[in-house]
Amino acid sequence: MSGPSISLEGVSLYLAGNCILDTLDTELAAGQLHILIGPNGAGKTSLLKTMLGLMPHSGRVSRHWPAKDTQRLPAYIPQQPQFDSVLPVTVADYLAAIISPRPLFFRQPAFVHHRVEQLLSDVGMRDKKDLKLGQLSGGERQRLMFAQALHRDASLWFMDEPMTGLDGEGQRIITDLIEQLRQQGKTLVMVHHDMNFVRCYADNVLLVDGGLKRCGLPAEVLGDQETAMLEVA
Amino acid sequence: MESLRQFLFQQQAAGYLPEMFQYGFLINALIAALMIGPLLGGMGSLVVIKRLAFFSEAVGHAALTGIAIGILLGEPAAHPFAGLFSFCLIFALLLHWIKSRTSVPYDALVGVFLAVAIAMGAALLLYVARKVNIHILENVLFGSILTVQDRDLAILAIIALLCVAAMLVFGNRALVATLNPELARVSGIPVRLYDYVFVMLIALITVAAVKIAGAILVGAMLLIPATTARLVTANVMQFFWTNIVLSTSCCLAGILLPMAFDLPIPSGASIVLLASVGFVIAVILNRFQARVQG
Repeated sequence: MSGPSISLEGVSLYLAGNCILDTLDTELAAGQLHILIGPNGAGKTSLLKTMLGLMPHSGRVSRHWPAKDTQRLPAYIPQQPQFDSVLPVTVADYLAAIISPRPLFFRQPAFVHHRVEQLLSDVGMRDKKDLKLGQLSGGERQRLMFAQALHRDASLWFMDEPMTGLDGEGQRIITDLIEQLRQQGKTLVMVHHDMNFVRCYADNVLLVDGGLKRCGLPAEVLGDQETAMLEVA
Repeated sequence: MESLRQFLFQQQAAGYLPEMFQYGFLINALIAALMIGPLLGGMGSLVVIKRLAFFSEAVGHAALTGIAIGILLGEPAAHPFAGLFSFCLIFALLLHWIKSRTSVPYDALVGVFLAVAIAMGAALLLYVARKVNIHILENVLFGSILTVQDRDLAILAIIALLCVAAMLVFGNRALVATLNPELARVSGIPVRLYDYVFVMLIALITVAAVKIAGAILVGAMLLIPATTARLVTANVMQFFWTNIVLSTSCCLAGILLPMAFDLPIPSGASIVLLASVGFVIAVILNRFQARVQG
């Protein structure tokens, strides 16, 4: 299922009187991998959350879904979620709560167990299903977030630094999954800092710094001096 | 209800049950405990997961003011449910509403509300004490098994059904919304609505438990069994059922033990003290387990 395109018209975001994003207009084409880059505090995460409808903004964010696509909720991978270290909620519980209509305090049907195992296997965490959420490392939390997003089978994905904390193996697994999603024609919007990844995989790069500074193919955006400074930083 | 009472009376007369089961008020209190125990346990699980322990404690203390307002407005002193429920509900909703509109840390905000509620309650109760027997107020504040009537059991049953239905329908989504509200919103879960429904259920439970646990100690019963269960369980299913068993056992034992040993302790106090003993044991077990593993 091909993903939607997204258009942003005159989008501005102010938080506590400070301008985070100033009058931003752009179009994100359907079925492409769009990567937001920029220095720390530039407003990348804020822009991603604005597109998700999580921030009180002015202007207009529209998603243009293909007519056939009835599942119109996006998948979202937040940046480094935190969990209470002693909360008795396991990895399997967390995924089962998303998958299953049956309350977790009852024994879950077989299909839920199979789906949980499959999702964890997809992100290389099959042996971690009985760990409590608070026992997971930063990289494992990122993989878990990817697992929950995979379950939604969405055609639109928003990912906020999904590689943070991942080891080499984790990065390979997640990179392969992102590549698969792109080949399936999903629309992917991602915040990322690794310029090598951006050069290799991005279809469209958006340089954000208090607004949209530049946007286009990786070679166009990453080639200029301003972005070279960003890479050095 | 009457047939159950008659059945237990017959069992006591035949010598199968202890002498104290000849009293109708005890049977009523035990039936109430069998409903309120699982209710406090089940909702307490979510209170602890949502980190709303301090909030539930504050709502319980707001009951003090609610009772005073109810009596001042002419409700019977033994069951001022309308005043109690209305004030707890307004208190909880207002607190939650302000939470989403201020940068004040949530625990500080709850602390302010808690202090205001207690101060208002203390001021109003001085007036109320002139109108009604102070022992009736003690019963409402700290619980009394003598006061549970059929009407109380009917109210309790309705509230229990509402809470069970809410947990069956929204339980998993509420858990997801608690663990990551932003992710839940993106997934189409109405997080804010769930929060308000939860706040209303806490206010309802405070009303439901007032006869047995007492208005002041309801918050403690939402918190202590769940905190105990959290220390000794490994997943959500274990946590939930352990919490229910602990909570129900404490409610039943908190009613029976003072009767059996002829102790002049309010039921709310004995229930909370028993729950506290369970908590201390769990802390010791948890330390022991950590040493063995470490």
